[in-house]
Parts: sequence; structure tokens; C-alpha cells
Amino acid sequence: MDVPRIVKTQITIGELDPPADLISGVNDGKVQLLEVVKALGEYLTSVEDGVRLKGLTFLSNLLKSTTPSKFNRPATVTLTRFFTSGVDDFDSLPPSLSALLVLSKLPTFDDDAAVEVYRAICENVNMKAYTQVVRNQVYQLFDSFLASHRNALKSMGADFLNSYTKMVDGEKDPRNLMLLFAMDRVILLEFDISQLVEDFFDITFCYFPISFRPPPNDPYGITADDLKASLRLCMSATPLFAKMALPLFLEKFATAVGPAMKDLMLTMAACFPTYGAAAVSERGTELWEAIKTEILYQSDAGIEAASLSALESLMRAMYPTPRDSPTGLAQDIIKECLKLLEDPEKSQSLAATKALVAMFKSTASVGPFVVSQTLPHLFRQFNHPTNPSHRAPILWSLTSLLIAASKVYAPPGSPRQYSHERPFEQYREALMDTLREGLRTNGLKEPAARGCVALSEIPGLWSRTEVEEVVRGMGDIVLNERNADVRKAVLKSLTTLAQNFPASIESTTLPLLFHALPDSSPPMADASGRDKYRSVLSSVAELCFLPALFEILVIRTLNKLDVIASLSPEGEQRECEVAYSFDILNTLHGVIVKKLEAKHADVVKHFDTVIPRLTGLAVEASKGRVGGGVPVWRDKRLLGLLGKVVDRLVWELPAERQAKYLISLHGAFDRGEMGGIVAGSVQWTAGSPLRTGAPPSEQNLIVLYSSAIQALKPDTALPFAPADLLAKLINWTIHLGTAAFQQHYALELITAFVNKRYTFPGMEEALTSMMERVWVGDVQDLEKEEGVRRRALAVFLHITRGLALVRHSLAYTSVERVVDVLKLASYDPVIVGEAARGLGVIAKGKGEDKSSHLTAKLLWAQKMWNFALPKLMEGDADAKGRERLVYLSAFASLLPLVPASLLASDLSNILPLMIRTLSLPSAAERAHAITSLESLLETSNASLAVDSLVHRYAETIVEGLLKSVGEVPEMGSSAVVRGNALRCLAAVPDAIRHEALSSLKPVVLRDLGRALDDPVRSVRWEAVECRARWYKYK
Amino acid sequence: MSRQLDNDNPTIFAPTAPATSARRKTGKALLWDDRADEFLDYDEEDREGMGEADVGRGEREEIDAEEVFDLLRSITDPEHPVSLEQLRVVNPDDIFVSGNRVLVYLTPTIPHCSMSTLIGLSLRVRLMRALPPRFRVDIRIKEGTHQSEHAVNKQLNDKERVQAALENQHLLQVVEGCLATAGKRGREPAA
Repeated sequence: MDVPRIVKTQITIGELDPPADLISGVNDGKVQLLEVVKALGEYLTSVEDGVRLKGLTFLSNLLKSTTPSKFNRPATVTLTRFFTSGVDDFDSLPPSLSALLVLSKLPTFDDDAAVEVYRAICENVNMKAYTQVVRNQVYQLFDSFLASHRNALKSMGADFLNSYTKMVDGEKDPRNLMLLFAMDRVILLEFDISQLVEDFFDITFCYFPISFRPPPNDPYGITADDLKASLRLCMSATPLFAKMALPLFLEKFATAVGPAMKDLMLTMAACFPTYGAAAVSERGTELWEAIKTEILYQSDAGIEAASLSALESLMRAMYPTPRDSPTGLAQDIIKECLKLLEDPEKSQSLAATKALVAMFKSTASVGPFVVSQTLPHLFRQFNHPTNPSHRAPILWSLTSLLIAASKVYAPPGSPRQYSHERPFEQYREALMDTLREGLRTNGLKEPAARGCVALSEIPGLWSRTEVEEVVRGMGDIVLNERNADVRKAVLKSLTTLAQNFPASIESTTLPLLFHALPDSSPPMADASGRDKYRSVLSSVAELCFLPALFEILVIRTLNKLDVIASLSPEGEQRECEVAYSFDILNTLHGVIVKKLEAKHADVVKHFDTVIPRLTGLAVEASKGRVGGGVPVWRDKRLLGLLGKVVDRLVWELPAERQAKYLISLHGAFDRGEMGGIVAGSVQWTAGSPLRTGAPPSEQNLIVLYSSAIQALKPDTALPFAPADLLAKLINWTIHLGTAAFQQHYALELITAFVNKRYTFPGMEEALTSMMERVWVGDVQDLEKEEGVRRRALAVFLHITRGLALVRHSLAYTSVERVVDVLKLASYDPVIVGEAARGLGVIAKGKGEDKSSHLTAKLLWAQKMWNFALPKLMEGDADAKGRERLVYLSAFASLLPLVPASLLASDLSNILPLMIRTLSLPSAAERAHAITSLESLLETSNASLAVDSLVHRYAETIVEGLLKSVGEVPEMGSSAVVRGNALRCLAAVPDAIRHEALSSLKPVVLRDLGRALDDPVRSVRWEAVECRARWYKYK
Repeated sequence: MSRQLDNDNPTIFAPTAPATSARRKTGKALLWDDRADEFLDYDEEDREGMGEADVGRGEREEIDAEEVFDLLRSITDPEHPVSLEQLRVVNPDDIFVSGNRVLVYLTPTIPHCSMSTLIGLSLRVRLMRALPPRFRVDIRIKEGTHQSEHAVNKQLNDKERVQAALENQHLLQVVEGCLATAGKRGREPAA
């Protein structure tokens, strides 16, 4: 390698980054560093500043890329000397510094060199003359010395410290300060600065308090809080600062406000323990006075919290160990606080409580002392209040202390143990009396319950008898309290307590609660009875969320459902029993959902209890019976909810257990072997519930089949050929299960099944031929009865939906067929209208329910949209008059498929369509269009093209929306569409400039005035919002 | 602010309106809560086994005192950055709705409060904008809570005086300022 030539070329063309081959040559050992230096010789020593600088920079850059092992000792020494000699030259400094930084990190760089370089820099560099970047290089070099050659610097003694303070004096850049503060802290901690405290105090405290505000879009991302935190570490590094710092703090109190005050408090909190008892005690009273003001009068919660931590730290500094008896200041503070507590209704007593809590938390010396001084005082006040209304705030003060105690003692491994301090020992009785009374008295129940929880959490304080006593008291409140807010608060406390004492809850509270559930529903007129059982149910739901208690919920609710199902109520009472059963089952369902979300593992193991027993109830009720009323469990709301429970639990099963369950389920629905899916025995002779001629009550059991199959995993083994089942289901759905309830579950089942099993052998061909048969044989056959054709269309669309989600080609040909048929609007109006609306089935996608188990491939919706939209637009353009309406209707039904951002790309075509859909007669279709329009308006500022289009059509949009706001004859309306229209209209003032709509404003305000009288409250709510916005629109 | 405040340290109360509505449930809602509704959607055509449950559908939800209170609660006090609800200037118990008439009593924080008229005006403007025009609104000072109760009442319920006041641009601006927060309606603003 011709090193001199390379070097010469590089320098001449001014390319100062060494070429890759030179670097690898050096790192491989093919080229010696010395050679490069030699080659650079003439440049490095040139008298011309520019040339020398180029040489230096080139060498420095090369060193940066060289592996450390390539520097031998002589080379390091020589290079160090060479670059050190460059620091006195203004221009040469930057490259020299970066080279020195590389060298300083080498193992061959020794202590002497560090001292030498450090001295040279201190003597020759005038920091104020350089920019931030260069200063930063200097500090980095110092930092490297401090890291690797600390002892050498230490041995320089005062010499180093003196020069250091001079070098860093006056630095202002936040990036450099971050580095400096880190170095300062090391020096303060490790070096002997006792002779130079004042200098270090000056270079540290001159920055306090920091008022830095980062510039907008700061690329360095240094925040004021970063700086404050690092500075705080320096200020609290040595007790030597105490003498000067404390007066400074006291002085700052006079002027600090807002963030500066918070900073001051937090800094003091950090400093006091380091400064030590002696120094802090000297100024303790003054410090407390200053802190007190902020605790008592500060309205900002952040500053108040900082002040409290300052107080805590003050106590910690003054009374660090249990041997330091809390005399003097601590006594005075407690006295002051107790005085404030005399008037418990004033906000200052709240602050006093907080101060006492902070003191309690400080140390093992002050904590018990606070308790011994405060508790008797609080008990006296509680038992003989000057005003009965004082008792609640007094009890809250007590509870605050108890909560603080539980936070101090309860965490495992806490440095403070209750068994060492035992502050509550002599007040056990009094505490129990007070809490007991609190639990019994209105207005005191919430603080009492919180206090009980706190005491129960302190290890080694309460025995089981004591816990059980308060659990009983709280259970009584949960059961009988009329005020819902209090009941909820106490229930929350009880739930917390249940985590530590599930056995007590199980033996005391739960029997009480379950016993309060009646065996049959209160009659229709008994609203309070209903409120009662609902409140009990929500309480047990809260408590039984815990794994230890869930099983009891399962057993008790199932038993209760059995009891209700055995009744045969009639008329109104039957409806009440249904609602009661629904509430019970819904409680169980709610807890299951919550537990599954929290990933509790104990839910699945109850599958074999819950599902067969609930299934049994539904199956038993579906049987034809002679005489008696309609059984409770024939109700579709109950069945629907049961479907959800089945879905949740089956989905949680592993694939092999799913397969096992599916075998019994298939047996039941294929051959009528009901015994396999219910608990206990069942008399079932009727055959499959899906057979021809089965009564509707049996057909409704499809919900069980549907929910279980929807929840199957794609790899669960099937006990039947998928195509066979699909064929049967399609036939059943079109010809047998005709009720809306059955249709819903059957269609969802078909979608799910197709969606997950389309890859099975033989499925594709089967699907193709089945869809062909359904389309040609049923949908298009004008001879067939209308109901059959409708249902066939629904089946066709639901299969298409399942396939569209996985971007299967069959889905696109199917959609093409549907769009094609729209041409026949006047020839076959019923089915065509249905088909147009039916595209909404595909737009449902995975469904609104988050727990949908359907599989969706990426971008399926966009692909479908891009496929269908041009066809619809083409059809719309070709059609005439009323025939165009079906295309609009199809367009509106498909709109929910895609987000507004996608619409924006082709808006000039889509927006006119959207505006026309605003006059469609169907409320549901308009609702879709309006939702899309709203999200479009919300994002319209994003692009200029959209913005100008929206403005061009602004008046038409608003006029179109107004039609949906109120009731227009010949147009359907619903609360949903009116609410959507009002929300969309409310988005207009932000999206469209006032001048485009100024003429319409009075009209809008007038029409909205009418919407204010909407029969539905939630719509009126939107109308008020919307009108307020339009009033402000200027 | 250069002017001396009328009441520079008012008592601020925690919201008292119960979290759950005290509205009496009627019809279907008596027995079923909203959760059951999702199972009813596909039941339009066949109602077998549904009993009387459906009578509640489509019934009109009348505007009641709670709703009027909801419209007013989050209006900001002209002197302090807190809501009228927090100052207990408006209380749910002091609002009465009957047919097409609404009567609102407002309670000034102190008997010599010169802001009462302004607060009353804000309430009136809010209700003008947020209640259907069929309502006749009366706004009165709660008896015995203000020195010049009578004069304020007269001013607040005189149509022409209210109209004249609203033509004063400065006054209107102050009212708009108070109303800026009215849309919160007792909730915390969305973050």
C-alpha cells in the first residue's frame, strides 16, 4: 500500500476521513501508524495554518478508527506528546482534543501522561474563547481522566481542584452541564475538597434553582428535570456544603414560586440526610417554618407533595436512628399540628394530618412518637367532639395515619418492622372501639373501612378474631347500606382485605351475601327488591374475582339458577324470573370475562361444571311440555348470554379438549344424543334439534352449537367432514331455522366455519359448488318463495364475508355477482335491495366484538374496497333514475369497511357519492355515510386536496346532514342516525372555514333548536354540544 | 385583575350530585338494564317469549331537572376558575321543570355579590341555547340569599333587558367566557 500517495491525495482533495483500506491496513497490522505519521510529516509541521489543520484532522480521524491494540507504548507516548503540543494553538485544539480523547482511553496511556495533558490544557486553553462543541471535548477528556486515572488526579491535590473549578466556571450550555454535574459529583464524593469548599459551592450552587426551558424541537432532548436531578445529586454529595447551603435555601424561600419552589423542596429533601443532624438541627426551626407555609397554604398538589417529602427528610436527618429521641423540633411540630387538628373542618387540619403522616413515615424514632402523641388526642376528639360533624374528618385523620403505617410496615423486606416499633400496642382496644363505631355510624363508614384494611395489613398486629369482626361489620355495610357511593367504597376496601384474608371473607361475608339472594325474583312492582339483589350480585362479583373465592361464586350461582328454573311462573312474574336469571348469569359471565382478561388460570378448570349444567337448563327448557307456563330458560336473552359464556370458556380450552367436547356436541346436534353435553341425565327422545319439524324452542339451541364452533381453534380435530357439516348447515339456515334469532347464530356459525376451515381438503371445491348452487338455485330463482331467496342471499353473503377476511379469490367473484345483480333493480326489486344492503355483511369484517375469533389477513378490507368500489361507481354511472339508488345503498353499506384516510385518496369521486347517500331513505345506511363523513372531516386538515374539496361541497354537506338531524317525512330516522348527524355537524366548525358557511349558520342554529327537543336524551346531549359549537363558529 | 373581588375566598365544595342518576326507571328499564338489549336486536319480527318487556321501547325521555342541572353545572364562575356546581351556586334541588316551564333558583356565595346578575345572565344564555324554544325559563335568586334579590330577579327575567345586555359586546364576551366550560357537564375534560 502506498501510504504517502494515499495521504497526499486525501489531504489535497480535502477529504479528511481516512479511506477504508487505510483503516483496515492499520488495523490488520499491514501498515504501521508510524508510516502514516511520517507520510503526514510535512503537513503536520507546516507553518500554514490551513494545511497543518488538515493534517492534524486526518491523523486524528484515523486514530478514532484504529483498534486500541494497535497502539504500542512508544506510539502512545509520542502521539500524546505531539497532540499535547497542539493544544496551545487555537485552530489545532479541536482535532488535538479528539485525538487525545482516543489516546486517553488506551491501556498504554499512563497516569503521568494524564497529569501532563491535564496541566497542558489548564495552562493553555481559554475556555471562554471556544464554542460549546470544543468545550464539550475538553470536558469529555477530563471525564475520561476521572474515569481511568482518578488517583493520579487525586495526587495532584489542591492543584487539580483549583484548576478544575477555574476551567468549568461559567459554563452555561445544558449539554455540557449534564457532563459537568456528573464529574462534579465524583469529585465531591471522592476528592478531599475541604480546603476548597467555597469554590465548589460556587460552581455548584450558582446553577440553583435551574430555570432552564428546553427550546421547541430540541434535538438533544435534555429536560429541565434531567438537569435538576443531576444538579441535586451534586448538591447533596457532601456534608461540607451544609453551612453555606442551608442559609441559601432559606433565602430562596422568599422568592421561589411554582416549579422553582418544588425544585427547592425536592433538593432540600435530597440534601438534609447528607448534611447530617448537627448542621440541619441548627437551622431546623427556620426550615420547618418555611416548609410549613407550603404545606399549609400551597394549592399545587405537586409542590405540596414535595414539601411533605422535605419535612420527612428533615426528620430523617435530625433523628436518624431509634436512639435519637425525638425531642425538640419534632415535639414542637407535632404540637403545632395537633393544634390545627382542633378545628377538623378547616382545610389546614387536612394539611396538618399530611404533615403528621410525613413525620410518621420518616424514621423509627419519630414514627412511634407521632403515634403516641396523636392517637390519644384523636380518640379524645372523636369521643367528645365539639360538633358531631367533626367526627368524619377526625376519623379520616386517624385513618390517614393507619394507612401510612400499613405502607411503612406491610411491604415484605421493609426496613421498618412493626414488631420492632409496636406503636399501636397500647391503643389496640381504643382503635378497635373507634373503628367499630365508625363502621356502625353513617358518614364514618368509608374512613372506618379504610382504617380497618390498613390495620389488617400490618403484619403481626391483628389476630384472626379481630379481622373477622371488622369483616362482619363491613359485610353488613355492603349488604345493607343505602348510599351507593359508601357501599362501593366499603366494598372496595373489603376486596382489598379479601386478598390477605380470603378465608374470613369466605366464612363470613359470602354466606351473608348469597343468603340475601332470594330464591325467586321479587315481583315486577318491587323495584327496591330488585335493586337489592343487583347490589348483592355486583358485590359478590367484585369479591369473587379472587381465585380463592371464584369457585364459591360458580357453585352458588349455578344452584340459584337451578332453583329459579324449577319454578313455573306465568305472565309478568315469568318475565321477572327471566330478568333475575339473566342478572345472575350475567354476573357469572362478567367475572369470567374479567378473570380471563387478568389471565387467571383457574377459570378453565370450571368448564366441566359450568357448561354442562347451564346447557342442561337450556336443553330441559326446550323440551316440549304439556301444560304449565313457558319455561324461563326458553328466553332468547338468556340463551344469547349463555352463548357468550360457552364461547368464552370453549375458546380457553386447549385444542384436544375442544375436540373432545366437539364430539359430544356433534353427537347432540347430529343425532340428538343430549346426554353427552348436559350434567346429570336427561330424558331426550326427540332426535336432533336441527331435524325437520323440530319446534322453535329446540331450534333455538343452535346458539350453543354456534357459539362453541365459533370458539374452536383452527387446528382442533373435527369429528365430521367439514363440507358435510357446511352443507347441512346451509340447508338448515335456508329452509328450517327461519326465525331471526336462529338466523343470526346460524349465519355467524357459517362465517366462522368457512373463515377457519376453507383450507381443509375438499373444502374449496365444495364451497365453489355450494355457492354456485345457493346463488343460481335459490337466490336467483324467481320461482322460489321470497323468504327462501332472502335467507339464501344471507348465507351467500356470510360465506363471502368469511372468505373476504382471508382474501380468498372466491370472495371477489361472489361480490362481483352481487354487484352485477344490482342492475336488475326494477326487475327484481326485493332481492336487489336486499343485496345492496347485504354488502354491509362483508363490511362487518371481524365484527364489533373484540373477542371475535375470526381470522383476518392484512389489508383484506382495502383489497375488497378497491375491488368493489370501481364496479359500484361504474354501475352507478350506467344506471338511471331510481335505479341508481341501489348503488348508493350498496356504497353506503360498504363504507364502514375502510377508514377515512383511505377515502381521501379518491375523494373527488367518493365525496359526491357520500353526499348523495345523505338523502337515502334508510336510516342505517345514512348512519354509515355520516360516520365516514365525520372521520373524514376530522382528518380533512391533513391534506390540501381534501381540504379544498370539503370546502367546495361544504354547503351541500351541511344541508344533507340537517336532513338526518330531525325527522323528515318519507325518510326513516333513528336515534343512531340523529346522534351521528349531530356529531358530524359538530365537527364541521373545526374543519370548514366560517366564510364558506356563514349564510347557513342561522339555518343550522334554527334546525338544531328543534333537535334540542329530541325524544332521546343522548341525542339531545349531542344537539346541545353541536349547537354550542355553532354559536361559537365565527 | 385590578378590581377587588367580591368574594375572594369562596368555599369550594366537592361535587355532590350522585354519580348514579336518581331518575326513576320506567317501563322496560325497570326490569332490564341496557346489557340485555344487545340480545334483542335480531328479535324485531318474532317476539315469542318476550312478554311485555318491550313496552319501554321508543318511549320519550322527558327533559327533567337533572338534565337542566347537567346543562348548567360546569359553567365557570366569573370571578374564580371553578364551576358553579363546585360553588353550589346552582343545585339540582333548586331546579324545577314542569311542562314547558323551567324554574332555576341560584344561590349567590355571599349576599352582596355583584356578580349575581352576570351569573344569572350566563345561565339564561346557556338555557336559551341548550333548551328547546318551547320552554319558558325563569331564573331567580334563592329567597333570602341576596341583598337586592328583587332587583336582580327583575333584571334577569325582563326579556328586553336581557336582549340589551347581550348586545353589549364586552358583556357577551364575558358570558361566552363563563360558558366555555359548560360542555364538560360535570365530567373531567377529556385528556
